[in-house]
Amino acid sequence: MSAALVGVLALLLYGAAEGFSIVSLRKNSDSLARWTTVFLVSGLVVHFVALQIRARRIHSVPYRDLSDSMSFFAWMIALAYVILFFRHRERSTGPFLIPLVLLFLAISLLTRPATLPARKELSGSLFAFHVTMAILGYAALSLSFVLALLYLIQNRQLRQRRTGLLFSRLPALDVLDRMEHTAVAVGFSALAVSATLGMIWAKKNWGTVWDAKLGATLLVLVVYAVALFSAPLGLKGKRTAFVSIVGFSLVLFSYTIVNLFVSKGHVFR
Amino acid sequence: MESALVLVGWDFRRTPLSVRERLAFTPDGIRDALGDITRRGVLSEGVIVSTCNRSEIYGVGTSADVEEAVTEFVAGFHRLPKPDILGSRYGLSGPDAVRHLFRVAAGLESLVLGEDQILAQVREALRVASAAGATRSVLHRLFQQACAAGKRVRSETGVGTRATSIPGVALELARKVYEDIDKRSFLIVGAGDIAAIFYDLLISRGARSIDVVNRTFDRAQALTARGGTPRRWEELGARLPHADVVVCATASPRPLFGAAEASAALSARRGRPVLFLDLGVPRNIGEDVASVENAFLYAVDDLKEMAARNLAGREKDIPRAEGIVEEEMSDFLSWYGSLAVVPTVTSLRRRFEHVREEEFDRQLSRFDRVPAEDREKIRLLAQSMVRSLLRHPTTALKEESDPVRRVERAEAIRHVFGLEDDAE
Repeated sequence: MSAALVGVLALLLYGAAEGFSIVSLRKNSDSLARWTTVFLVSGLVVHFVALQIRARRIHSVPYRDLSDSMSFFAWMIALAYVILFFRHRERSTGPFLIPLVLLFLAISLLTRPATLPARKELSGSLFAFHVTMAILGYAALSLSFVLALLYLIQNRQLRQRRTGLLFSRLPALDVLDRMEHTAVAVGFSALAVSATLGMIWAKKNWGTVWDAKLGATLLVLVVYAVALFSAPLGLKGKRTAFVSIVGFSLVLFSYTIVNLFVSKGHVFR
Repeated sequence: MESALVLVGWDFRRTPLSVRERLAFTPDGIRDALGDITRRGVLSEGVIVSTCNRSEIYGVGTSADVEEAVTEFVAGFHRLPKPDILGSRYGLSGPDAVRHLFRVAAGLESLVLGEDQILAQVREALRVASAAGATRSVLHRLFQQACAAGKRVRSETGVGTRATSIPGVALELARKVYEDIDKRSFLIVGAGDIAAIFYDLLISRGARSIDVVNRTFDRAQALTARGGTPRRWEELGARLPHADVVVCATASPRPLFGAAEASAALSARRGRPVLFLDLGVPRNIGEDVASVENAFLYAVDDLKEMAARNLAGREKDIPRAEGIVEEEMSDFLSWYGSLAVVPTVTSLRRRFEHVREEEFDRQLSRFDRVPAEDREKIRLLAQSMVRSLLRHPTTALKEESDPVRRVERAEAIRHVFGLEDDAE
């Protein structure tokens, strides 16, 4: 079976998970929420099969063109969400986080996979691990971004004494804060590991560790370090959410502008 | 003999408090009464739901006038003259009894629509009855399903989920800031009636860290008898940074603190949010506190408005709650109906076979000129007649898909063919 077909199946499963998570949030039903988990985990498994098919075909971790990298990114977001879900047992954030998975998988399925010549230096396990960690890091940070937005929404509703359906269904402020903290911690660690591995690889292959992408990544790491270790600085609650949002804009900048125009080693080819 | 589900009860709608008081069962009383009533054979299974608003006896009865027998028993047990309790008694059986229990568990029969306690009380009633050995399969299943219905109504509809009292709303708000009430620090300023209500609510929800500040230290001490720490009035400022939720309910004519104090407290807390609940009239907390970052201020009017909105929301959801009750009920009845159909079919068949064997054979033996081979033919004829006669009622009973109607049909057949006094 082709990777695209399996990918569509995964998209349908994720879509079903999103549907169930919206309905279960509206109806506040535990039995429906269980279906969200079932569909989400099956989507994750089927999606993994799709990535495997691609990986066998191109003999590398699937990241080298836009289609593969988006699909891998979507899978990592789903994985990070599942980790977050089982860590915090909080299902009401599902309707807001699963759309990220749907979005990036849909982009991947709509773009044509490119056929790129194999390159020896890109096939080692060091390199594969570098890329995998980077994508996991970005995925977790994307989730932290949405969680920070939810924190600000809930904060605003409390402040304005508006207590509608969204207010009653979203988790408590401190739960959103803790979930965001977990997501940032996972994202920060993965990105730090990825940057280290990247420097080792660059030293070996380019003879230098420096790359514009490394600069951007270090900046991102500094911002998230502030969010992560901010309690002693008197940063908590609303302001941590802001820091996380600033950090994510830097991630987007680094993922797009830096990748496309500045860096010598981080373009799709 | 056919066993039927019955309910005999007295509740706040029909029975005055003076009578209800005397009909209430203590936990020990429930054990004794259930032991007694099953030993006497009035009921084969029984559960007693006894709260301040209702005393209800659910049972599986074994005689035709089981409601009367239960009433008689209750009168005797509480030493009340039967006429005193007969007037306000209600007796329901079959699907109506089931529906009533499910509505009770869902809070639809409560004084305060959707209130929470009744579900726990229904669950407790089942536990006590099981421990007393008074439940078997039918009531066990009935009460479990009733609890499931009650739980679903509370989680899937607005009936009973949103608080309708000011302290309830206040606690709901606190839960939107900090999920675990039991791990949070509360500061109650004041020790009057409102402060006491809030204190009781916090204690009942497992809160352990409660500071009570009051101008008269003795009253703070008296209030914290069941947990928490009494504090002197001078400590108010010093305790402020420790509190995740601050509740003010004093008669002070001026605000006790404003934005400056709140800001200082929040920066000492490194920005961890604080919920300020001002239950005092005139206001106890300066309005400018609302503008402090990570501080949420709610005054008594805000809470009143939320409570009113929640009550309106509860009433709006009654039809949905009733829908859930009907769904769970038909689930139970289809199980119960399958129980009722099989014994009915068996005893109907047994009754017909009995007539055929006893009556028909006896009549046949009076004709001596019928040759043996013809006797055999006549016997076969009689057998096939019985089978034909049974075919229609049996399928009508078995193939009825509506569980309520199936139970009713089974009961009708038992009545028409006099199967009530068949031995099981």
